[in-house]
Amino acid sequence: MEEKEFKEVLIPTTLYKKIEEKIKGTEFSSVSSYVTKILREVLSKEDEKKEVFSKEDEEKVKERLKALGYID
Amino acid sequence: MSKKVFVIGLDSAPAEIVFNQKEKFPNLKKLIDNGIYGNLTSSHPPITIPAWMVMCTSKNPGKLGLYGFRHRKDYSYTNIWIATSESIKEKTIWDVLTEYGKTSCLVSIPPSYPPKKVNGYLISCFITPDAEKDYTYPLELKSEIEGKFGSYKFDVKFRTNEKEKLKEETFHMTEQRFEVIKYLLRNKNWDFFMFVEIGVDRIQHAFWKYMDKEHHLYEPNNKFERIIIDYYKFIDEKIGELLSILDDKTSIIVVSDHGAKRMKGAFCINEWLINEGYLVLKNKPSQITSLENVEVDWTKTKAWGWGGYYARVFLNVEGREIGGIIKPKDFEKEREELAQRIKEIKGPNGEKWETKVFKPSDLYPEYRGDYPDLMVYFDDLYWRSAGTLGHPTLYLPENDTGPDDAVHAQEGIYIIYAPWKNVKERKDAHILDIAPTVLNLMDIPIPEDMEGKPIT
Repeated sequence: MEEKEFKEVLIPTTLYKKIEEKIKGTEFSSVSSYVTKILREVLSKEDEKKEVFSKEDEEKVKERLKALGYID
Repeated sequence: MSKKVFVIGLDSAPAEIVFNQKEKFPNLKKLIDNGIYGNLTSSHPPITIPAWMVMCTSKNPGKLGLYGFRHRKDYSYTNIWIATSESIKEKTIWDVLTEYGKTSCLVSIPPSYPPKKVNGYLISCFITPDAEKDYTYPLELKSEIEGKFGSYKFDVKFRTNEKEKLKEETFHMTEQRFEVIKYLLRNKNWDFFMFVEIGVDRIQHAFWKYMDKEHHLYEPNNKFERIIIDYYKFIDEKIGELLSILDDKTSIIVVSDHGAKRMKGAFCINEWLINEGYLVLKNKPSQITSLENVEVDWTKTKAWGWGGYYARVFLNVEGREIGGIIKPKDFEKEREELAQRIKEIKGPNGEKWETKVFKPSDLYPEYRGDYPDLMVYFDDLYWRSAGTLGHPTLYLPENDTGPDDAVHAQEGIYIIYAPWKNVKERKDAHILDIAPTVLNLMDIPIPEDMEGKPIT
């Protein structure tokens, strides 16, 4: 049986409403999108990896991969 | 008896050349005629990354969490990360060998930048930003190599119309790599040696239409007609030189990470998604441009795609993407419907395509990392995916980002030649089988979690 791609989490209604107000007119399409984004940020800070490439090197490698047809 | 294994990696080499034309390649022929050989089914996707690491870990791409060179960062619409040696979390052949005190010599196996510590020697691969970087283990190997062979050539830029120059550069790069390998063979201690020659892939992409009479852009009696075969003859001669250095306790394995075949064209996935109402732009581009350079109306967009030798398609889902609009409860239904519609896409003349569409769960028992929602092989990979926008048609006869004549094929090749064995057989195998085969040839226990079986 395939694991579901999404699972529900419950948050207090007051917090939900606060977020609903906050994201009005922003790029966030839903409270779920906002909560997911914030949680990802928190978790990725905890899990911060050493960056392999400097910004300049990353651009260089991306350009090369584009030129090689792996990215476009 | 100390059993050693020497692996010759020919990126993208297909059976149609290596096996079907073996009479032209005496050294490869000797290995084929005196060993076990056959097709080697590649990973899904059959792309350099992840395929070489699937081979070297005997783990499927879902387990590795690698689905190509780039991946989305945290479901961002635009931010990506590039796979490097640091992305490989599973044990490789050489990690296992280290536990048994065996030494390895590894040359340009993708991805091997940044160079990781190994019990032996390592030179990194073509994702190395440039030769100024530290690209060897140990560090001092770099100056040793450069002192004898000059600046190390990682790759060539094959998407160019300067074909003569490209040909020269590719032969030159390969020649240098084989000289470096010869030097390492003679001067370093090793139990396991593996290298990948990327030039094979580059020469095929750049010159396939000149060789293949079935290619839609083939021109009879063109001056580049024999370049691919000449390159293979050159490689064969170089392989002969390497074989003459090896002793009779060394098993030889020749492998490719996937095959190659003629490109029929490029299909504009994002243009199609626009036509079908899945992707909505704020402004129509007036010239050919990539999706990251146009303003997408995410409030109306359900899906978008990436180009490459296969297409990755992503759905815009509420709670996952910042501006997601597909409700999670509708995700599976929407994904299934889109998959069906993609499968029904026909060719430019209304011909039926053998398009394959996979969900990660169709391919992998478990899938990690930043996987796409759908993986698409247009017409069984004969049509590559073009991610760019602004084309007057969905079907491009040439690639959208520079000349390219070949695409990837699911079937690669393998040859195993063990001098002390008298087994001659043709049988097909899977890319997952190579790591267990290497360990088996070296009498090293195969870790239980390796997914393949040794070829015997």
